[in-house]
Amino acid sequence: MPAMSPTMTEGNIASWKVKEGDSFATGDVLLEIETDKAQMDVEAQEDGKLAKITQEAGAKGVKVGRRIAIVAEADDDLASLELPAEEPSQEASATSPEPSKSDTDAPKSLQKTATSSERTSPPPSTSPPQKQTYPLYPSIVQLLSENGLSKSDADKIPASGPKGRLLKGDVLSYLGNIKSAYSSEQSARISKLGHLDLSNAKPAPPKEAPKEAEPPSKDAAAAPQPEPVAEPDTEIAVPISLSSVLAVQKRIQDTLGVTLPLSTFIARAVELANDDLPLSAHSKPTADELFNDVLGLNKVSGARTSRGTYMPQITALPLAGFVDSSAPQSSSKLDVYDILTGQKPSAAAKKRAPVPPGPGIAIGANTGGATNLFSVSASKGEEKRAKSFLERVKTILQVEPGKLVL
Amino acid sequence: MIRTLVPRAASRATAKPFISSQIPSIQQPAFCLYTSRRRGYATEAAEHDLVIIGGGVAGYVAAIKAGQEGMKVACIEKRGALGGTCLNVGCIPSKSLLNNSHLYHQILHDTKKRGIDVGDVKLNLKQMMAAKNTSVDGLTKGVEFLFKKNKVEYIPGTGAFTGENEVKVNRIDGQEQTLRARNIIIATGSEATPFPGLSIDEKKVITSTGAIALEEVPKKMIVIGGGIIGLEMGSVWSRLGSEVTVVEFLGQIGGPGMDAEISKTTKKILEKQGMKFKLNTKVMEGDDSGDGVKLKVEAAKGGKEETLDADVVLVAIGRRPYTAGLGLENIGLEADNKGRLIIDEQYRTKLPHIRVIGDCTFGPMLAHKAEEEAVACIEYISKGFGHVNYNAIPSVMYTHPEVAWVGQNEAELKEQGIKYKNGTFPFSANSRAKTNLETEGMVKFLSDAETDRILGIHIVGPNAGEMIAEGVLAIEYGASSEDVARTSHAHPTLAEAFKEAAMATYSKAIHY
Ligand SMILES: Cc1cc2nc3c(=O)[nH]c(=O)nc-3n(C[C@H](O)[C@H](O)[C@H](O)COP(=O)(O)OP(=O)(O)OC[C@H]3O[C@@H](n4cnc5c(N)ncnc54)[C@H](O)[C@@H]3O)c2cc1C
Repeated sequence: MPAMSPTMTEGNIASWKVKEGDSFATGDVLLEIETDKAQMDVEAQEDGKLAKITQEAGAKGVKVGRRIAIVAEADDDLASLELPAEEPSQEASATSPEPSKSDTDAPKSLQKTATSSERTSPPPSTSPPQKQTYPLYPSIVQLLSENGLSKSDADKIPASGPKGRLLKGDVLSYLGNIKSAYSSEQSARISKLGHLDLSNAKPAPPKEAPKEAEPPSKDAAAAPQPEPVAEPDTEIAVPISLSSVLAVQKRIQDTLGVTLPLSTFIARAVELANDDLPLSAHSKPTADELFNDVLGLNKVSGARTSRGTYMPQITALPLAGFVDSSAPQSSSKLDVYDILTGQKPSAAAKKRAPVPPGPGIAIGANTGGATNLFSVSASKGEEKRAKSFLERVKTILQVEPGKLVL
Repeated sequence: MIRTLVPRAASRATAKPFISSQIPSIQQPAFCLYTSRRRGYATEAAEHDLVIIGGGVAGYVAAIKAGQEGMKVACIEKRGALGGTCLNVGCIPSKSLLNNSHLYHQILHDTKKRGIDVGDVKLNLKQMMAAKNTSVDGLTKGVEFLFKKNKVEYIPGTGAFTGENEVKVNRIDGQEQTLRARNIIIATGSEATPFPGLSIDEKKVITSTGAIALEEVPKKMIVIGGGIIGLEMGSVWSRLGSEVTVVEFLGQIGGPGMDAEISKTTKKILEKQGMKFKLNTKVMEGDDSGDGVKLKVEAAKGGKEETLDADVVLVAIGRRPYTAGLGLENIGLEADNKGRLIIDEQYRTKLPHIRVIGDCTFGPMLAHKAEEEAVACIEYISKGFGHVNYNAIPSVMYTHPEVAWVGQNEAELKEQGIKYKNGTFPFSANSRAKTNLETEGMVKFLSDAETDRILGIHIVGPNAGEMIAEGVLAIEYGASSEDVARTSHAHPTLAEAFKEAAMATYSKAIHY
C-alpha cells in the first residue's frame, strides 16, 4: 500500500484499473485508493506487468507498506516467474492491533516508507534462477559449451550478480566445481563493500573546542555558542474559531463532492497573513534572522514591512464543562504534521505519552465552538509583528474563509 | 525481476502544506486557488523544496539534479564562484598545471631521441597560471549557466542554520536573506588539515591552494605527506625545476588505498624523474621565522634526527571536513571525532530532512564520489530510493605516468583472508607503449581464486586514469577476469595491456 501523503497509515482499495497479467506503461493508472480524506489514483512509475493482485478491490484498512500486488518487468514471462512470499513481519504488523512503529512515527513516514520498500524487495544475493535477459558473459558462454549445456540452461542457474545477472562463479557453483554457496556468499560480501562504511562513526565529545584554530575565548565552555543567549521568547496566542471554515468546507463538499482538508485553509491563511508584516521594534541582527526578507529591498522602498515566516502552533481549547479530568488532556505529541494535514489524532497517536497542553485542532463538529488557540513565539521587540500576524489569520479564517478557495 | 508494489509516490512532500501537489493526481476541479493567491501576493520568499549549502561538486550537482526533477531549489555558495574546491583550487587547476608542466618537461628532456630538435625552451610561469585560470573560469561559469538552464537559484553568500528548516544567508553583496526549506542538503566540503606548529601563509608554508598559485619556482621544496595531492603538486614543481623532497610518515607513497606493489613501482619512476622521498619519517617541528623554512624530522620508529630546509613547504597531510560557521549547534547536529557529519545510509542526519553529502561526511574525499552521492541524495528525496556503489569508485593520481585503481588491494584481501589470483602485464610488453616510448608501469588484476570474480584492478602507466573506467565497469557488473580477457580490445592500444593482464589472471598472457 503506497503512502499517498505523509500522514496516511492505511487505505482502502477502491478498484484495480489493470488486470492480472496485463502490461502497463509509465503513468498508467494502476488502481484507485481511498482514505478518509480523498480518493486518488496510483500511477505506474515504470513500465511493467501486473503479475498478481494480493489485495482485491474492496479491501479495507490496508496498512501502508503492506503488499497489495506484485509487478514484474515488462518483458518478463509471467508463467515462469516465482512469486516471492510476503515477509511474515509484515503480515504480523498488518494484523496486529498494536500500531506498528511506522504508524507512531507518522511525521517521518516518508523515510519509513522508503525503508519499508527496501525491506520488501528480496535480498540480492539469494536470487532464484531467472531468465537472463542480458547477453551472457563470455566466460559463461565458454563454460556452458565446455560442459555440454545450452544457453537456455543458464536460466536455471541461481544468479548472484548485480541486478540478478549470472556470473562465472554462479556457473562454477552450479557445476559443482566450487562449493555451492561460495558464489552467493561472495556476492553478499561484495555488496556489503558497496555501502558507505558508517561503522566507525564515533560522535565527537559533546563540548569540543571549536574546530577553527581561533584562540580559545576566556569562557571556553561558552565557546560553541557563538551568539549571546537570546532573551526568552514570548508566547503570543489568539483564540480563533474555525466554524466559518468548517461551514465553507462543508459547502464545498456538498456542492463539489471534494473534501478540502482544514490544513489547506490554515496553510493558505498563514501564507497570506505572513505578507507585509510590520517590522519588529529593534533592527538588530537577532531580529533580522527571523525576517524572511531581503533587507535591501526594504531600504530602497522605504517600506516598514516585510514578509514573515510564522507557523502558528494550534491548540484545541477545552470547552467549559467538557474537560474530562480522569483522562489526561487530549493526546498527541506536538505533531505538526497532523495539524497541518488536518489529520485528527489517530487511535495510535492517542496512545502516546500525553503532553499536558494538548495541541491538535478542535473541529468540534457537535460542540459548535471549534475554537482553537493559535500561538506563535516572538522574541523581544517582535511582539507587535507576531500579534498582527495572528490577528490577520483570525480575520481571514473567521470572516472570509471562502476567499481562500475562490 | 520481481518487485512488490510499494510506495514510490509520497516522495518529497516532507512537511509543509503549501504544495498542492502533495497528493498526486487528486482531482481538484474548481480550485485554482494556488494561482490566484500567487497573483495577488507576488512574494519574494516562498518556501523552497530544497536549499543546498555549498556549491562544490556535491552541492552543484545536487542542485542541477533537483532542478531537473522540478524542485524549487536554491544553492548557497560563499566563495563567489561555483564548483567548490574541485573547480577552483583542486582537481581542475591542478590538472591544468600537471598537463602543462608535463609538456614543458617533455619538451625540455624528451624530444631529441624522438627526432625533434627544439631551440630555446623557456618557462613562462605567468602564462601557465593564466592558462589555468582560463580553464577554471570557463568551467565555473559553465556551472552557473547550468544553474540558469535548470532553474536553480544561485545565492552567493555564507549560509548558517537558524532553525531546523531555516537558513540565514550573509550575502556577498552585504544583504541578509533567510530561506525556509522543506529539505536541506549540507555540502560544505573540506579544507586542508594544518600542520601543528607551522602557520600557513600560502607563500612559504603552503597548502595545495598556494601550490597552484606560486609566483616563482622555488629552489627547494619540501612536501609533508606523500599522498595523492602531495605527489601531484610535488610533480608539478619538480618538473618546473624545483628540488622536491617528499616526507612521508607511512612506509609507502600514494596513501593507504594504493596497492603496495604499484606504490613501489610508482616511487621508483618518480625518483627517476628527480623527486626525493623520505618514507617512515616524521616531521617533528618546523621553524619558518627565517628566509626559508627549517624542518626537524625523525625516523618514525624513533631514531636519528635530521634538519631539512627549503624555500617552500607544502603541507599535504590530508583534508578534513569543513563545517565552521554553519550553525550546527543551533539545531544540534553532530560530527564524529574526525569532524565528519554523522549520517545514515540515505545521507540523513538525525533531522531526517537535513542530509549531508560530499567531503564533509563519510567516504573517500573525491569529486566523483561527491557527484554520485548528489544524484542518489536527490533521488532519495524525490523517489525514496537511490544508490551509490562504494566498491566501484575509482581513484586516480595524475602524475606521469598516472596511477589508478578500483576495488580492493592485496593488503586488504589478505587482511580479510580472501584467496585471490594475481595477474599482471607490464607496459614494456605492450606494442603501443613501445611505439610511444612510454613503457613504464603495469596493469594488475586481483580476482577471486575460486570464482575468478574481479576484486581489484591496479594500474600504473600511461593513460591509467582513462583505462580504469573499463575496470570500474567490470566491477560494477561483477565480471570475472576471463570476461575481460575474452573481450576484444583494439590493436595497437594501451588498453591491450589491460586485456592481457586479465588473461594472465585466469590463464596466461599471450605477449609476455
Ligand atoms: C589540490 C586538490 C586536487 C584534487 N584533485 C582531485 C581529483 O583529481 N579528483 C577528484 O576526484 N578529487 C580531487 N580533489 C578532491 C575534490 O576537490 C573534492 O573531493 C571535492 O571538491 C568535494 O566536493 P564537495 O562539494 O564535497 O566539497 P567542496 O568542493 O569543498 O565544496 C564545498 C563548498 O561549500 C562552500 N561552503 C562551505 N561552507 C559554506 C557555508 N556555510 N555557506 C556557503 N557555502 C559554504 C565552500 O566555499 C565550497 O566551495 C582534489 C582536491 C584538492 C585540494
